[in-house]
Amino acid sequence: MIARFSYAFRETWASFKRNVTLTMAAVITSAVSLLLVGSTFLIQRAFDNLLTRWKGDVELIVYVRSDADANQIQVIEDALKSQPAIIDVSKLRYLDQAESYAEAQKLFAGDPGTLRLLTPENIPSQFKVVPISQDSNLIRELGEQFRSLAGVREVAYAQDVFDVVSRVSQFIRIATTAMSIVLLMVAVGLIWNTIRTAMFARRREIEVMKLVGATNWFIRIPFMLEGLLQGLIGGVLSCLGLWGLNSAWSNAVADFNDTELAALVVTDGYMRFVMFILLGIGAIAGAVGSGIAASRFLDV
Amino acid sequence: MIRLENVTKTYGTDIPAVRDASFEIAKGEFVFMVGPSGSGKSTLLRLMNRQEQPERGAVWVAGKNINEMSDSKVPYLRRNIGNIFQDYKLLLNKTVFENVAFALEVIGRPKHVIRQQVPAVLDLVGLSDKEDRFPHQLSGGEQQRVSIARAFVNRPLILLADEPTGNLDPATGEGIMRLLDRINNTGTTVVMATHDQRIVNMMRRRVVQLDRGVIVRDQERGVYD
Repeated sequence: MIARFSYAFRETWASFKRNVTLTMAAVITSAVSLLLVGSTFLIQRAFDNLLTRWKGDVELIVYVRSDADANQIQVIEDALKSQPAIIDVSKLRYLDQAESYAEAQKLFAGDPGTLRLLTPENIPSQFKVVPISQDSNLIRELGEQFRSLAGVREVAYAQDVFDVVSRVSQFIRIATTAMSIVLLMVAVGLIWNTIRTAMFARRREIEVMKLVGATNWFIRIPFMLEGLLQGLIGGVLSCLGLWGLNSAWSNAVADFNDTELAALVVTDGYMRFVMFILLGIGAIAGAVGSGIAASRFLDV
Repeated sequence: MIRLENVTKTYGTDIPAVRDASFEIAKGEFVFMVGPSGSGKSTLLRLMNRQEQPERGAVWVAGKNINEMSDSKVPYLRRNIGNIFQDYKLLLNKTVFENVAFALEVIGRPKHVIRQQVPAVLDLVGLSDKEDRFPHQLSGGEQQRVSIARAFVNRPLILLADEPTGNLDPATGEGIMRLLDRINNTGTTVVMATHDQRIVNMMRRRVVQLDRGVIVRDQERGVYD
């Protein structure tokens, strides 16, 4: 068993050194494609943060002052429910201060200054309103009426951010996903090609191995390890790149901390998750691609 | 040990390389396959370790129909069959020792077994003093001895030799034949394809003669023609 392992690692390393140029090409391509995959993840997450407030067709949010009493909140709720022609009453949702605080963690992820000032006690609670009416003027008129109610702090409209942001995010999502899929295919193709070249360089050895009774798996495993290593190195490089990009972006965003941009930041926990995914995709794509390539050139 | 039953093998759509061949080789026998180039000798050898599959008929080796064997079992069949070739098929970037060790390494034999068996077999073929040489530092006859060592190191039941003396001068070829004879005396079945009349006549073993894919003669203690 140990003999087999040491054989596999020795052969992998030897082949790695033999094909430096092709290996570099495969590694760099997989790094770039994985970087794009990772960016797609992060961009989606960032936009999702920005749009958390407006999830579920919410078009209007009525923010309630943190010092409002139960009575005032009841008045606001009754006023909202008295408009069933405009508002979908069944979807009306009240987020108390604890829930609003949880939501703010995402919303102000890139703005630790603001986040520090917020507590579950001083944060405004909110009514999320899903309208029935498609008439945006009507919704706006209704919203303006609430501004004058006691206990209302502010009224926000989805329209103000939502349309532009969602369209931009949609576009970026499709573009980056498409590019990363294409590049990932190129990367697998390059890994495939390095493995084919490596196998061609060693065709005499493979012939002898088959004649003396080496199993196909025994022959294949060093090549799969080589592909796996290429994918994994690509993954590591892409993680470094992604980490650099994300830090630079987070720093840049910190300068705009009182705007909506502050939500466009990804927290470390999610970042680690994405890095883990990238390493996984790189390793699996490399191993599977080279495994298939090795099988194709191993006719019994 | 080896039995062919009405075996026919065709390459492409041309005339068959082997047509309706049937014969049996007993354990420990030494058999020459003779005939001119293209008469089907090599094809017969390739059918015996499943490098080729016949269109019709069956090949039995050590009691198993190897044509019905699953692909995953073929490596284990081949561990019982050594192969020698006219062009030796040595790995040029490996030393004599490494070339022989390679055959054990790739079937997962542990290091201590390799360290013990490789010197023993190199001693048998008379190359103990050259185990650190590379193939290009050896004569043709010595290279063929390395390839015999590699084929025999795993103590196979059968040795298939395809024109092993084809690239060697007569004296060197005789040396190789003496070595194959010694290996045969250990109980290993040897099947050798050749068109070297002198060697066949010298050895006086069983001769199976082929002509355009058909067995035309099968004779105990035969001569070339």
